[in-house]
Parts: sequence; C-alpha cells; structure tokens
Amino acid sequence: MSALDQGGDHVFEQALAWHRALSREDADWDGYIAWLDENPAHRTAFDEIALLDRMIDDHAPSLPSIEPAEVSQPAAPHRRKMWWFGGSIAAALAVAAVVPTLIRTPADIVYDTNGKSRTVTFADNTQVTLAPRSTLVVKAGDQTRLQVAAGEAYFSVPHIKGRTLSIRAADYEVRDIGTRFSINLAPEFLTVAVAEGNVSVRPDTGGTAELGAGKQLIADRGRRLARIAPVTTNDVASWRQGRLVYANAPLAVVAADLARYTGDRVTIDPRLRERRFSGVLAIANGAGMFSDLAELMSISSRRSDAGVRFMPLGKY
Amino acid sequence: MKVKLSVETTEPIEHVPLGALYGVHRAELLRFLIARTGDRAEAEDLVQDLWLKASRGSSGPMANGRAYLFRMAQNLIVDRARERQRRMRRERLWIDGDAPLAGSSEERIDPSRDAESAMIDREERARLSQAIEMVPDGARRVFDLHKLKGLSHAEVAARLGISHSGVEKHMAVAMKYLRRALAD
Repeated sequence: MSALDQGGDHVFEQALAWHRALSREDADWDGYIAWLDENPAHRTAFDEIALLDRMIDDHAPSLPSIEPAEVSQPAAPHRRKMWWFGGSIAAALAVAAVVPTLIRTPADIVYDTNGKSRTVTFADNTQVTLAPRSTLVVKAGDQTRLQVAAGEAYFSVPHIKGRTLSIRAADYEVRDIGTRFSINLAPEFLTVAVAEGNVSVRPDTGGTAELGAGKQLIADRGRRLARIAPVTTNDVASWRQGRLVYANAPLAVVAADLARYTGDRVTIDPRLRERRFSGVLAIANGAGMFSDLAELMSISSRRSDAGVRFMPLGKY
Repeated sequence: MKVKLSVETTEPIEHVPLGALYGVHRAELLRFLIARTGDRAEAEDLVQDLWLKASRGSSGPMANGRAYLFRMAQNLIVDRARERQRRMRRERLWIDGDAPLAGSSEERIDPSRDAESAMIDREERARLSQAIEMVPDGARRVFDLHKLKGLSHAEVAARLGISHSGVEKHMAVAMKYLRRALAD
C-alpha cells in the first residue's frame, strides 16, 4: 500500500513538514507543488498523512484523552452566589444596594447569568449588563472593584469626581472614570471595546494601553500580544440588540461567544486557529448560528456528543 | 515578558465571490491538482467539482484567494480519499459477515447507510484508540494536547516547557507510530 517503504522515513518527515506548513495563512504553495513534482512518492506520502490526519480529526471529539480539559477560570474562595430571579432593574438595584450592608466581613459578591442577559445597577448608578452565561464579581463587596470572571459584560459608568472603577479580567486590569465599554473574556482572548470616553487597559506584565471611543483592544492571552483596532461604536455590545457583530475577530472569540449563547461546548480545529471573522450573527437563530458562521467563513461545523467543532471545509 | 501593544488599522475585508476567484486561478488550480493527484482526468474532474462548489458558495472573508482555493482543493481531495477508504471498509464488512465489530444484532439485520456508517465509525475509533496507546509517552502527550485538545504548537510548547521543534519532533514520532499501527 505504501510507496514510502522505499523512500523511508525521510520522505514521510518531509510530507509531515509540508502538511503542517500548508496550514499557515502564508503557506508556500509553489514550493509545495515543486516538491510534489520531484517524486511521485512525495504525493503518496502526503496522501497518507492527510488521510490519517482527517481520520484523527473525525474522531478527535470522542477519543479518550489522557489529560483532563483545562479549566480556565480559577474559582474565588468564599464566593457568595447570587442569581437573578426577577428581571427588573429595580429588583437588581434593591439587591445590589442591600446586600453589602448585610454582610459583616466583606465577601465577594458573584453575579452569574444563565441563558439570559441581565442588568445590575449599583448605588452610584453604574450599570453593568451581563451577557448570557457570564460572571461578574464585586470584590469584597466594593462596587469600585469588579471582576469579569467569565463571558462578556457591558459597562455604563457615570463620571463621579475622585472615583475610579477598576475591573479585573484574567491577567488584565481595566480602569475607567466614566464611559461606556464592553469587556469580553474568552478562554484565549480578552477584548475591550469602547463606545464612549476613555479607558486604560493594563496587563499585569506591565505597559498600559489607553483606548478611546471607537477603539478596541484584542489581547491574545497565551501569546501576551495585544492589538488595537477600530470598532464602530454602535457595534460595541450589540448583543444587547440581538446581534453579534465582529470586525476581524479571532475565530476563538466568536466560538466562545457561540458557546455562551447556545450552551454548547465549542472547539476549533487547530488548522483554523489563525482565521478571523468579520460579519454579523443573529442571536435569535440559536444553534443555527453555527451553520451561519460556517457558511460565512466557508468552513464546516460538526456536531457530536462532545459538542460542536469547527473544521476546515470537509464534508460539503 | 512585556506585552507588546501595536496600533494597527484593520483593513477592510475583501468579500470576493468565489466564482470570480475561480476564474482568475483556474489554470493554476488545474496545474496544482495534476501535481497533487498525478492524474489528469481526476484533476479535471476535481476542478469541475470545485467550480460547482465555488459558484454555489457565498463570498467569504479572504485574505488570500488563491491559497483559499488551493486549500479548498486540498480538502476536496482528502474528502474523496476518505470516502474511498470508508467504502473499502464497508465492502470488507460485508465480506467478513461475522466480524466481531458488528455491535448489535439490529445493525446486522438492518444494513442501512446510517447503521453501516456507525459501525465503521466505531471500528475506526477502536483501531485509532488502540494505535494511540502504542505511541511513546512524550509523543503521546504532545499528540494529545495538539490533536485532541486543539492547542497550537506554541501552546503545547509553553504548556510542556519544551521547544517548538521539540513539539514538531514529538508530533512526527506520533504520526509515524499511528501510520504503522493503522497500516493495513
């Protein structure tokens, strides 16, 4: 079956290297074609690898893994869980205003959302709208020290002299004295988008970025790289109007959003890691957003027991 | 490590109809497919198939249309190879009527496409899991993180505290073992 046995491991290694190289956006396709032309054994070796790789991808979600999946959010100790039962802002206001006075030792107050977004209004009229399946923590009950522990939140902060709001999101701190902006925390990326005013974003590792209205910062948490790009101010936290609007967003960010809106586990084939998405998804489409996105990006989405996985164009 | 902050303007994304892209790159695409398949007739057939898909498909955000089409072609070739592979297995299942891989009796009396396909899936998965167990520990850990957990090479390197080329070597070892274990 294998012409490789003549060429040996060397050809197989070359084919592997090409297989990997071609997954890059800037792949050298001409070099690859030249390599194919050199020797028919090259083609056979490549076929074998591509087929094996596809077989692994097809089964990856259901294959036993040797390590448990990574948990991205460390749980804060002594959390007090708070759920909203009523939807009204007044109820949220009452809860937020009353709770800190009831507790003697300041504990973290945790706001979690399920499938619906909710708005909480603090005593100083700061309003935070939490997207579905997101978590906001009020550190030690102090309403000027917040944390986005998961998901996305939109902040509308009135300017009050002498008051600075500090919001932690993973390894970053966002500081603000009065603006409207959103913070989106995905497993691999942090996005801060400003609709009005200015905020500063400071990574724990040093350096500060000042963001004005119409700017967004997308930080790759693993690589510790951030880039600042324009954003249409009307599109900031447009999920509040039922639309997810993206401009050149990493696919991982879109996938994390879809996971929150649908409650599905969403994974991405490694070959799609560098892909970015620009476009609009309608939240009302629910799980239909997976195929909407797949269609728009010319990729495929496959559902299995393990969740939804985005793959390069495969089955049509 | 310092975080680098760069100001960059997002370029407007090209929304090019795939059909138009195809027209521009058809000759190159054919040349590529001949090199890739070693078979002119099959290459022509693939080009035709790609044209149908391209003209039906919507436009997508594409930084590099040519690479995009090549990648699409590459995927199509693997799709076809994968179908052939599964068809061969299906035929084999029919021949070895009492192979132990048929799960329930229901599947044996109802050889519908779905049941057959589920059977092939199960068999493939079992063979693959067995093969993965043969991979040496270091390579298996890298394989697990990259292929099963979807971490990038850079993330695997960071997680395991090894170099980038170390990750590539481990992946090569894993793929060699799998290829050997799965060879018919």
